[in-house]
Amino acid sequence: MKNIFKGSLVALALILSSVAAKAQEAGGTLAFLVQPEPPTLASYVSTSGPIGLVMPKVYEGLFDYDNDGKMVPMLAESYEMSADGKTVTFNLRKGVRWHDGEPFTSADVKFTILEVLKKVHPRGPNSFREVSRIDTPDDHTAIFHLDNPAPYMMRSFSAYESPMVPMHLLEGQDIKSAPLANNPVGTGPFKFVEWKKGQYIRLDKNEDYWQEGLPYLDRIVGRFIPDASTRTAAMENGEVMYAAYNAIPNIDAVRLKERDDIDVTTDGYSMINPMALIEFNTKEGPFVDPAIRRAISTAIDRRFMIDTIFFGYGKPATSALSSNYKATNLHAEMPNYPETGDVDAANAMLDAAGYARDGDGVRMRAVLDIIPYGEDWRRAGEYLKQAMGDIGIEIELRYEDVPTWLKRVYHNYDFEMNVNYFYQLPDPVLGVHRHYGTNQIRQGTHFVNSSRYSNPELDALLDSGSKEPDAAKRTATYQEIQEILANDMPVVNLFELEFLTVYNTELKGAYGSAMGAYGSFREAWLED
Amino acid sequence: MTRSSKIFRFVLKRLLQGIPIILAIVIINFFLLNMADGDAVDVLAGEAGSATPEYMAELRAKFGLDQPLPVQLFVYLKNVVVLDLGYSFRHDMPVSELIVDRFWPTALLMVSTILLAVGFGILLGLLAAMRLNTWKDAVITVFALITYATPLFWVGLMMIVVFSLNLGWFPTSGMENVAAFYEGWDRVKDIAVHLVLPTITLSLFYLALYTRMMRASMLEQYGQDYVITARAKGLTERRITFVHVLRNALLPVVTMAGVQVGALIGGSVIVESVFAWPGLGMLAFESLFARDLNLLLGIFLLSSVLVIVVNLIVDIIYSLLDPRIEVS
Repeated sequence: MKNIFKGSLVALALILSSVAAKAQEAGGTLAFLVQPEPPTLASYVSTSGPIGLVMPKVYEGLFDYDNDGKMVPMLAESYEMSADGKTVTFNLRKGVRWHDGEPFTSADVKFTILEVLKKVHPRGPNSFREVSRIDTPDDHTAIFHLDNPAPYMMRSFSAYESPMVPMHLLEGQDIKSAPLANNPVGTGPFKFVEWKKGQYIRLDKNEDYWQEGLPYLDRIVGRFIPDASTRTAAMENGEVMYAAYNAIPNIDAVRLKERDDIDVTTDGYSMINPMALIEFNTKEGPFVDPAIRRAISTAIDRRFMIDTIFFGYGKPATSALSSNYKATNLHAEMPNYPETGDVDAANAMLDAAGYARDGDGVRMRAVLDIIPYGEDWRRAGEYLKQAMGDIGIEIELRYEDVPTWLKRVYHNYDFEMNVNYFYQLPDPVLGVHRHYGTNQIRQGTHFVNSSRYSNPELDALLDSGSKEPDAAKRTATYQEIQEILANDMPVVNLFELEFLTVYNTELKGAYGSAMGAYGSFREAWLED
Repeated sequence: MTRSSKIFRFVLKRLLQGIPIILAIVIINFFLLNMADGDAVDVLAGEAGSATPEYMAELRAKFGLDQPLPVQLFVYLKNVVVLDLGYSFRHDMPVSELIVDRFWPTALLMVSTILLAVGFGILLGLLAAMRLNTWKDAVITVFALITYATPLFWVGLMMIVVFSLNLGWFPTSGMENVAAFYEGWDRVKDIAVHLVLPTITLSLFYLALYTRMMRASMLEQYGQDYVITARAKGLTERRITFVHVLRNALLPVVTMAGVQVGALIGGSVIVESVFAWPGLGMLAFESLFARDLNLLLGIFLLSSVLVIVVNLIVDIIYSLLDPRIEVS
C-alpha cells in the first residue's frame, strides 16, 4: 500500500511541477521499451498490448481520461446526452487534419464507429452494441442514436480503446487487410515513420498538430529488447527511459527504484484493471461442485502471493469485481475471499460437502494449467499447488506455450482449472460480463466464458446492468451479481494485478493520463 | 583434366547432391512443425484479446490453413521450386523479404565471430603447443576450459554489466543508436561499436573449442615421422612448425569450423536475444511461438542451404591446404 501511495504521490508531484514550472523544453528523442514486438500496428483490429504502447501516439480518440477518471476532450470538444440516455451528441474539434493533409470530419467518426470498431475490433462490438445510427448534420457534429442507454460507452473513447481512423484510406477495402495497418495515418501528435523489424518503431513529431505548441518531443522510438535482464541494463544505462507493463520485471524494478534517476509508478492502469484469477471447468472434471470452488477460494493466502511473488504490487481480490469500480459504486466486498486464507474453514467446507481424504490425505487430484506469460505465473502455480495440497487437493502443474494453451482452454475445453488474468476494463459490461454470461460461452473465442457457467438469473441481472442508466439502481444490480458469483464461483479471483511503469526521472509530463503507457505522450518532455 | 575444371565439376556434383537433402529437410520440418498444437490464427486471435470463430475461420481460409496437410505441403513445395518462400501472415510481408532483411545482421555477426574464433583459436592453440607445459600453456588451457564451460547468456550479461554499465564503453543492446540515426560512415562506425560485445560473447565459446583442438592437433603432428625426418634434415624448429606442422594441424580445425556454421545459428539465438541483435536466430525463435510456419520453414531452408554451401567451401579449402586430398 505504501508503494502505491508513494507512486501516485510522485506522479502527482510530477504533474504539478510540470504545470507550475512551465519549463517544458522542446526537442529530444524519447526511447522507450515495447515488449514484445507487436504483430501489427492496426490498433483498430487488435487490442494486443504492445500495439497499445505505440499507436495512441499516432491515432487519437474522441476523449482521453485523466488520473481521476475525468474525461479530457481530444477529437471531441464536448458532448451532450439526452435525458433518456439514448441520444449522445458529440461536438468535434475544428481544424484537425490527418497526417496526409486531409481534414478530419464527422464522416470519419461515423465510419470508424459503425464500419470499423463495431465490426472488426475485438471489444468494439460490445462497447458500441447499442449504437444503431449516427447522424452527421455537419462536418463537426456526430449524433449517436442508441437502442438502450449505454453508460459504459462513455468510458471507451480513449485512443487505445477506440482509435479514430481515416475513412478515405479504408473505405471500400477489406478493413482487416487494408494497407493502412502498417502504414498508419492518424491525427495524433506523432507521425509514423518506420518499423524496423526486430529493432524499433520510429515516430516523428507532427508539426501540424492541432494543439499549438505540442508535442514537445521531436521523436519517439519504441525499442524491442527480448531479454529481460538486458532491458533492465538498457534502463540503467539511460538508453531507454520508460518501460511499462512490467517490461522491467518486479524483481529488478524494486532494485532500480533505489537509484536517484529512476522511479516506479503503479498509475496508468486503472482503465485496464487487470485481475489475476482461476477459471474452473464447471461442466466436467473435479470442480463441478461449487462447494469445492468456494473452499479453494477460502484456502488461498492472497496476501502471501502478492508479497512473495509480486513484490508487494497487487491488491487481494474481495469480489468478482475489482475494487477500482468503487469509483462508480459498483464494487462490494463478498464472503469467501479471506485476505490471508483460512485453511481450517476450507477443510471444514470440504468435509461438510462429503469429500473424504484417502490414506494419503488426498481428497481429489487435478491438473492446474498456468498462463504462459512468464516466471511470475509459474511461481504463482507452485504456490497454488502447495495451498491446495493443504486442503487435500493434489495438483499437477501444466505449463505450455501460448498457442497450445489457448487451444486447450478456449477451443477444446480440455482443462480442469486454469490460472489466468483478465482485463476488467473501466466498466464491468466491457470487461467482466464476457466471463459469466451464457451468451459468452463461445467455443473458439479467447478470453470469454471458458468455465461454461450458465445461470439464467445471472444473465437477466447482467442484461439489466448494461442497460440501467440510473446509478443507484445499477449499484443494487451489481451487488446482487457479486453475491451470486461469490456463491457459485465459476471463477475465483486471486488479486488485482498492479503493473509497474519504470521511468527515468528526466522524462516529465508523460503521467497525466489514466491510460498511462497507452496514452499519447503529447505533453512528455525531457529535462537535460 | 585441369584442376579448375575438376573443381567446377566437383562443385556442380555436390550442389546437385544437395537438392534431395534440402527437399528431405523441408518435408521433415514441415511435418515436425505441424505436429505442434495451435496455429498462427490462434496466436493472432489470442493476442488481439477476442475474436469470433467466424473471423478465425476466415483467417484460416485466407492463410490456407484449412487445407489438408498434404495439400499444404504440395503447395509449399511447388512454390519453393520457383524460389517463392510464401507469405508470413503474422508480419504481413513476403517471407523472402523478411529473411533477407534479417540475414545481414546475422551474417555480420557470424562472419566476425568465425574470424575472431578461428583466428584467435589457431593463434592461442599454436602458442600453447609451442610453449608446451610452460605457464603460457597453462594459462591458455585454463582460459579455454573456463570459457568453454561458461553459459553464453551469462557471459553476455556479464559483458553488459562490465563494459556497458560500469565502464560505459559499449551500448547494452541493439544494432544502432536510435536517438541519433546516423548515416554514412558514422552509421558504419555505430554498427561496429554495437557489434563488439555480441561478437566477443558468441566467439568465446568457439574460441575455446578451436584453441583446444589446435593445441591437440599440433601436438599430434609433432609426434609424426615426417617431423623426425625434418629434424634429421637439420631444419629449424621454426620452419618445422610453420611450414610443416601448422598446415597439417589446421585440417581438423577447418573441418570443425565448417560443421559448426549450423550450430552457430543456434548459438546466435541466445546472443541475439541477450543483445537485442535483430538477426535470423531471434526471428526463428519468435516465429516458433507465433506458429508462423511459413517463415520458420524459410529460415530452416536458408540455414540448410548455408550449411551445404559452407561444407562445400571447406572441402575446397581442404584441397588447397593438403594437395594430397583431391576433389572428386
